[in-house]
Amino acid sequence: MSLLKPFAKLPELNTANVLLVDSEDTFQHVLADAIVQQKNNVNVNVRLARSLPLPAENEDSRPRIDLVVLILHLRSELSLSSAETSLKQLDPDYFLGKVCFVVTGARCASVPHERMAAVRKLATSLHCPLLFTEEQTAEGINTAACRVLNILRVSAGLVPMATGLSLFSLIRSTLPPDLDYQD
Amino acid sequence: MGRRVVQIHFLFLSAVVCYAMEERDSASATPRGKAPSNQSRKSYGRSRRSLGVELTNIGFTPGHLAGLRAPTSRELPKPRNLTEHVNPEQIALLVKNEWKLSYITPLYQFRHTQLKTYSKQLSAFIAAEKQQGLAVEIEADTSFRVTFSAVLGLAETEDDAETVFIQIHSRPPFAVEGDAPKVIWSGWLTCINGNPEYLRSLPSGFVCLPLFCTSGSESLTSVVKLWFEKTFDCNFGTLSLNSTCLQWLASMWTGCHPAFNIRYLKLVWNLPAQPPLDISYTIHPQDAWDLWNSIREQDSAADTISINEVESFMKGLEAHFFRHFRIYLSAGTLTKVSTTFGSAHCDGKIKFTSGDSIKHVLMLLTEYALLKMPI
Repeated sequence: MSLLKPFAKLPELNTANVLLVDSEDTFQHVLADAIVQQKNNVNVNVRLARSLPLPAENEDSRPRIDLVVLILHLRSELSLSSAETSLKQLDPDYFLGKVCFVVTGARCASVPHERMAAVRKLATSLHCPLLFTEEQTAEGINTAACRVLNILRVSAGLVPMATGLSLFSLIRSTLPPDLDYQD
Repeated sequence: MGRRVVQIHFLFLSAVVCYAMEERDSASATPRGKAPSNQSRKSYGRSRRSLGVELTNIGFTPGHLAGLRAPTSRELPKPRNLTEHVNPEQIALLVKNEWKLSYITPLYQFRHTQLKTYSKQLSAFIAAEKQQGLAVEIEADTSFRVTFSAVLGLAETEDDAETVFIQIHSRPPFAVEGDAPKVIWSGWLTCINGNPEYLRSLPSGFVCLPLFCTSGSESLTSVVKLWFEKTFDCNFGTLSLNSTCLQWLASMWTGCHPAFNIRYLKLVWNLPAQPPLDISYTIHPQDAWDLWNSIREQDSAADTISINEVESFMKGLEAHFFRHFRIYLSAGTLTKVSTTFGSAHCDGKIKFTSGDSIKHVLMLLTEYALLKMPI
């Protein structure tokens, strides 16, 4: 099992591949369906994984992954810790424009503040964008799929004059000033 | 038509706590001396506590400022006898029921000297609501008697207001004269060791008693809340305890095991499986104490615990469970913690079974109530 490397394989024509990493099933599948059903003029392949590293058996048949989306559920501590272990299995080149975080359950009242603060700090330290989604309504899922698709197009190089790195320098998450001074 | 008997029973007076008004200096509260200028304020309601820096909300409560963060270390309950300070009968009142928690915003012009008037007004209000046919589902002829009393000795610092205890007694119409009236609803407002900066920054005329505990029927609770809102211009909201709060309680109670002997430590988790799974995990107190001891760093002070120790303690318990049952407890939510000191449920219910450690639990709950309040 090796690190997932972004430039180890050749790209395919007019195709974009996204990998959704999530420790729980339901939202992952629903988001994947929504992404595939969005109207677009490129072929989008969505691959699903529970955690990284990916199994070595599929190494040859796997295409080049253009965007790795880590899904975090704030309601469970487990998804945060498994995402952190998965991050260690990514090649550092991915963090230059090919990793993004999707967070669900941010409006839930029972989520402790510390978890949200930890997620923000993680995303900021990795210079990745942080997208918040509403997972329980169809509209929310469609919006999330649309946003992920937009980022995917840029990361796959299908948008002229924009690269993943330039986009991320505009949309990456930053810490609010009061979090900076916490502990 | 039955005669409406309204009686006031007045128990105790306490001195009004005066708040010194301090001019809120934004430079002292802004960390690292950043110069705030033209930045939009996101706090709801331009309260005096809003600083000049832009605030984005981490949680869902707006307007929460740098001054009020959840503390990272707390005191352990010492084996101090509460009856030295508080009347034992009043402690008995507090440990009897299971309380449902809410937070209240500061009360405008609440005077501890006017408790008798308040009793009268609240009885009249309940009777009026009953007459309008709203909400109260008790037999038509019962009369209500409301008692406001002050529980002295619970307040920890000078800034805390005294705890106020409210009881509603009912007397059925055909009762014999010697019958004791039954308490059908009780509630209390308290503030124990509230954040002193916040308390001092309130404008004069406001009394802060952020924690409101009720026990009794929902309809009476809503009538009482309505009266408070009308009289003191305040707002209520439910205080649900999140998993961090329950973890603090579990660690605090375990940490005082040698002094008090908790007889068990029981944690209940709810896992989002299909169908949802409830796991109740009971730990022998000596084992819990051994684990807790091994986690405490060597040089930590004997009576404070920090958030890191709490997290390691919970991780240890979850790892042990995983080793035996292959279930990740962290995928679910902690819903209930109980020991012989009492139990706490994540929906905002708390029950004290003994008078020890009430103060420390109330300190924790007051902090959470202050954190959760929208202003």
